[in-house]
Amino acid sequence: MPGLIALTAANLRSFTRDRAALFWTFAFPVIFVVLFGTIFAGGSSAYSLGWVDEDGTPPAAMLREAFVANAPVELTDGTLEESRERMSTGDLDAILVIPQGLAAAIEAAQGGGGEGPVTVTIITDPSRSGTSQAVQQIATGLVMAANLQLSGATPILTVDLETLQTSRLNSVSFFVPSILAMALMQLGIFAAIPLVEQREKLILKRLNATPLPRWTLVGSNVIVRLLIAAAQTAIIVGIGVVALGVEIVGNWVLIAGFVVLGALSFTAIGYVIASFARTEEAANGMTQIVQLPLMFLSGIFFPLEVMPEWLRGVATFLPLTYLGDALRQTMVGGTPFAPLGVDALVLAGWLVVTLGISARFFRWQ
Amino acid sequence: MSQPVAAVRAPRPDAAGAVIRVGEVRKAYGAVQAVDGVSFEVAPGEIFGLLGPNGAGKTTTMEMIEGLHQPDAGTIEVLGLDVRRNASQIKHRIGVQLQTAALYPQLTVEELLRLFGSFYGRQRPVDQVLEDLELGEKRTAQTKTLSGGQRQRLSVALALVNDPEVVFLDEPTTGLDPAARQGLWQVVRRMQGEGRTILMTTHYMEEAEALCDRLAIMDHGRILEIGTVDDLIGRRFQERGVRFLRRDAPPEDQLRGLAGVTRLVAEDDEVVLFTRDVPATVGALLELTTRAGTEPADLMIRRASLEDVFLDLTGRALRD
Repeated sequence: MPGLIALTAANLRSFTRDRAALFWTFAFPVIFVVLFGTIFAGGSSAYSLGWVDEDGTPPAAMLREAFVANAPVELTDGTLEESRERMSTGDLDAILVIPQGLAAAIEAAQGGGGEGPVTVTIITDPSRSGTSQAVQQIATGLVMAANLQLSGATPILTVDLETLQTSRLNSVSFFVPSILAMALMQLGIFAAIPLVEQREKLILKRLNATPLPRWTLVGSNVIVRLLIAAAQTAIIVGIGVVALGVEIVGNWVLIAGFVVLGALSFTAIGYVIASFARTEEAANGMTQIVQLPLMFLSGIFFPLEVMPEWLRGVATFLPLTYLGDALRQTMVGGTPFAPLGVDALVLAGWLVVTLGISARFFRWQ
Repeated sequence: MSQPVAAVRAPRPDAAGAVIRVGEVRKAYGAVQAVDGVSFEVAPGEIFGLLGPNGAGKTTTMEMIEGLHQPDAGTIEVLGLDVRRNASQIKHRIGVQLQTAALYPQLTVEELLRLFGSFYGRQRPVDQVLEDLELGEKRTAQTKTLSGGQRQRLSVALALVNDPEVVFLDEPTTGLDPAARQGLWQVVRRMQGEGRTILMTTHYMEEAEALCDRLAIMDHGRILEIGTVDDLIGRRFQERGVRFLRRDAPPEDQLRGLAGVTRLVAEDDEVVLFTRDVPATVGALLELTTRAGTEPADLMIRRASLEDVFLDLTGRALRD
């Protein structure tokens, strides 16, 4: 027991003094989280529209207020030319042109006369169809509402727009548990490298010449991995919650359970690699061969729903698919790919099989 | 390394008191018979050396005794215990230095010594181990920053953390400069002075001659001869060697016929004439070369050495 504690402390010390290991374990996933967070939460949340008021009357100003109050837009005033300029440099998503004669037309209509509707022009960028459509809908809706109000009719139906989470928050929420899963996968698989290094440098052999039982060696290795996994989880989830506003909706015990199960399963896969890699270089190559398909085919970067059928077929065999799925479900209430029980069973299955393989093939010297 | 401990030339072990007992041990790696029927015994307090070239089977033999490899056949007892059945018990009482120093590069000297100490029930104070190996000023240095000699000393220090009864040293001075080598010899002698039994391998003749009470000369997985240095030399060479360079030397058949010469051993660039009558042989040699208008280059007269023993046993020189 003192051996286990001392060896664990020694392994942790070695780890914290190894800058490269620290970077790959902590900085790398953090960079990922921050990167994706910035991409998907990037900029302001509103559409920026150019507001070209050619009328300049109080009714036109009221229409402007209605837009600002009721739609997710930020308005920038300017002439048509100025606004076109801004749109061409990408500062504006679209331009709304309020024509001259707006106030006059309203007055005429309310007085019972009038020569037909005044046209509000929306200028959009056809190359950005998503934004264009959204802006069109917002503008049309608001103009309709204004029409109703101006004509004095009492609205019978109204629509109250509410979503559970905005689409951008959904992306970040999807990525934080995914990146946690990825980090746990790498942590586990990379367990192969120090192990092979210690075998190559005959550290394992030297330890074997002491009375230290072998289970202590393995045990300390696993404890170190779990401690690092806990630190990684705290950092990644912490950044997600504090900086990116991700809400953790799940049960912490369940989350911790899957973090531990995931770390163990992938560490066992790391041991399989260490069983077959003779040199550190070989171990490095093998970890890459194992981690790349896992990273891209397990629904970490692309949701499984958007994958072609045959790739989804591949994904159903990969352990990372189930760890990512379980973490998304337990952390942010993600749509299940499989029931949690199935996630747990698949991960446990991988753990048992890979442990069996390493027990059979691992060489201490 | 203040006071050298006078090496006590230990007597041959009697069968009952042996600390290490190896009987007909064999070990093959694939088609290579690394150890091919090795037997020897080491007495308490003895420095016993396995001497031979690289690949002779010294390290494999030693590592089987340490419990790191299972022999294919044969028996090994350490401190009266069977290695196969009592490996863990034995490992508590022995100290092992492996040929390649195995270290955690990011740990300091002191941390590493404490780490290894924690594996044993019985421990020596770390300060004492540091002082013994003159590593005191390096105690807070990470092991990756140590020089080759310091690393080697640390590797020996790790073998002493548990106050072992038996110490195994595998080529402890390989790669060290002569001064560092002498220093380590002192350490080994001190270990003996503290009552420990030492089994070591080496391929340095002078190391074996300087340190070992008894030696086993190994080649191709077998032990060729066992004995004290004097035994090994005296058994084959009552003569002295007259040695000179082969360059410009007279033909071998003429040399063989010189007065007093009992045999001639020719190496790559040297000739050694063994003789019971040095003045007569040297006189005759000089007469021969003078007639030929040359003189023997680098002429040297000396007692036969372990080198000569090895050459005589194997027909090859033992060089690193």
